[in-house]
Amino acid sequence: MEVEVASSAGSASREIPANQHPLSNCPTAKTRRGDPYLDIAAYDPEADLMVLNLGPQHPSTHGVFRLKLYLDGEMIVKAVPFCGYLHRGVEKLCEKLTYVQLVPIFDKNDYVSPMMNEQSLVMAFESLLGVEVPRRARYLRTLLAELQRIASHLLWFGAFAMDLGGALGGGSTLFMYCFRERELILDVFEELTGCRFHYNTHMIGGNRHDIPTGWAAKVHSAIDIIERRLIEYESYLTTNRIYLDRTRGVGVVDADLAMELGITGPILRAAGIDHDLRRDAPYHAYDELEVRVTTATAGDCEARTQIRLAEIRESIRLVRLMIDGIPEGPLGSRKPIKSNLAEKSDRGQAYAAVESPRGELGIYVMGGGANRGASPYRLKIRSPSLHALSCLPYVLPGHVVSDAVAILGSVDPIMGEVDR
Amino acid sequence: MSVAGLTMAADVMELLTRRFSANSEPDGPPLVAPEHHLKLVRTLRDEFGYRIFGFVIASHHPATTTDAENLGHIRVVYGLRTVGVDTRLASWQLEVGVGNSVPSMVQLFAGADWQEREQYDLVGIRFEGHPDLRRLMLPEDWKGYPLRKDYAIDTEVAPWR
Repeated sequence: MEVEVASSAGSASREIPANQHPLSNCPTAKTRRGDPYLDIAAYDPEADLMVLNLGPQHPSTHGVFRLKLYLDGEMIVKAVPFCGYLHRGVEKLCEKLTYVQLVPIFDKNDYVSPMMNEQSLVMAFESLLGVEVPRRARYLRTLLAELQRIASHLLWFGAFAMDLGGALGGGSTLFMYCFRERELILDVFEELTGCRFHYNTHMIGGNRHDIPTGWAAKVHSAIDIIERRLIEYESYLTTNRIYLDRTRGVGVVDADLAMELGITGPILRAAGIDHDLRRDAPYHAYDELEVRVTTATAGDCEARTQIRLAEIRESIRLVRLMIDGIPEGPLGSRKPIKSNLAEKSDRGQAYAAVESPRGELGIYVMGGGANRGASPYRLKIRSPSLHALSCLPYVLPGHVVSDAVAILGSVDPIMGEVDR
Repeated sequence: MSVAGLTMAADVMELLTRRFSANSEPDGPPLVAPEHHLKLVRTLRDEFGYRIFGFVIASHHPATTTDAENLGHIRVVYGLRTVGVDTRLASWQLEVGVGNSVPSMVQLFAGADWQEREQYDLVGIRFEGHPDLRRLMLPEDWKGYPLRKDYAIDTEVAPWR
């Protein structure tokens, strides 16, 4: 069947209004904002409400996350999220370890995009300690960030197809395809850093691993393959009637709600807000690049998918721009810092934010001063996933249970980062 | 500026110092009296366009004296962000003694709900007027506040079941 796909600019031309859709189970409630503080006892004494625990080990929760759903029939009346199952006390650990020991630990926070975690952390430390980063390292960081964004969004795309139901994209076929293509990026990272996943390639003041010979050609071939195949994978989903029924008009996060909750990244851009830290508050080498920001207006699951797919293509374009023109020069501002930062004073406070695939990932660090050695006094991770998840009590009420899984998937939460 | 990497706009600095008589701090953002907090949030949101919720960060500063009564004080740093091109952060902090509370900003920014719950959970600062102040990360029956400076990192804790 022919379905007009809305352009990536998100004009969202709908053939059927969302509230009159034939397969829609709850026609009127989809854009209503739920009340997270709803008193269940006062809701409707006659209604026979059922309590359903989604999680903590449900495969669709992308980790360990529990949703307590109050159901009236199949419709969600109230959703109470519980997180913390993966809480590892990273912020307390930061007060015990030295600055250089912290970088490998931050790989484990957002385990789908470890590069961004390292970068936000070393950026905060660099501005706290007043360390300069050479131009070559800034370019390499930008390149790694964009490659990581491709890998992260690819994994999300495959997982989202699984969330919507096994039949979409041929069972787990699309998931495995996306996994395979993500592996191409991980291979490139492995060649650079020696690790597939927990890279530890960023240092305070530069990068640890220089580009090996012939690496650029491998990056080129990897992103060529991904770009070519992405067109095919997109066509599996985005023109599929079932996919459109399950995502169009489902889980609308409007712009006001997103900003009020502090949601950034693809969810905010899908709601029509033109906001991207890469362009609006440039870090690394983004001030020398032109980042094209894609926005959509619908704010639903379909718009979020389109934004993320557009961001893969934009990242591929940026990687192509950068890969052959990485400036020569030193990769670190000094010899690798291995011991305590004895020569630098860590008095003061610093904040650094990067645009991770999930939004604004910020690190706020308070320096320990002289008397506490070289550990931060207090370090706070502003995790974009936690802010994104906090939309669930507002968005889920009015939807059916199967939509809850689609909405949860489209939010792209990484529980390691939510719980820390 | 007192927070590296967070340069505030000149008009916000003027607003903080003139209208809300904030004290500049050597380390950290300007210090605002807790009674001005909500008015400041509303002014920044409605008049200055700081519409994206940023962060809430509480930190414990133990007393320097050996007075057993004095448990030190807690500082809460807030951040709000403008939308779009040349986005800026506005940041300020409040200070209260341990055991006192600060006004909750949930009524103005719904995103403060989970953030304040997290800080209550880990640092043990109460937010006055929060509609649902429960622990966010740790179990309900957890004893103590792990991010307090007097909570030793090597305390043995029985496995939670």
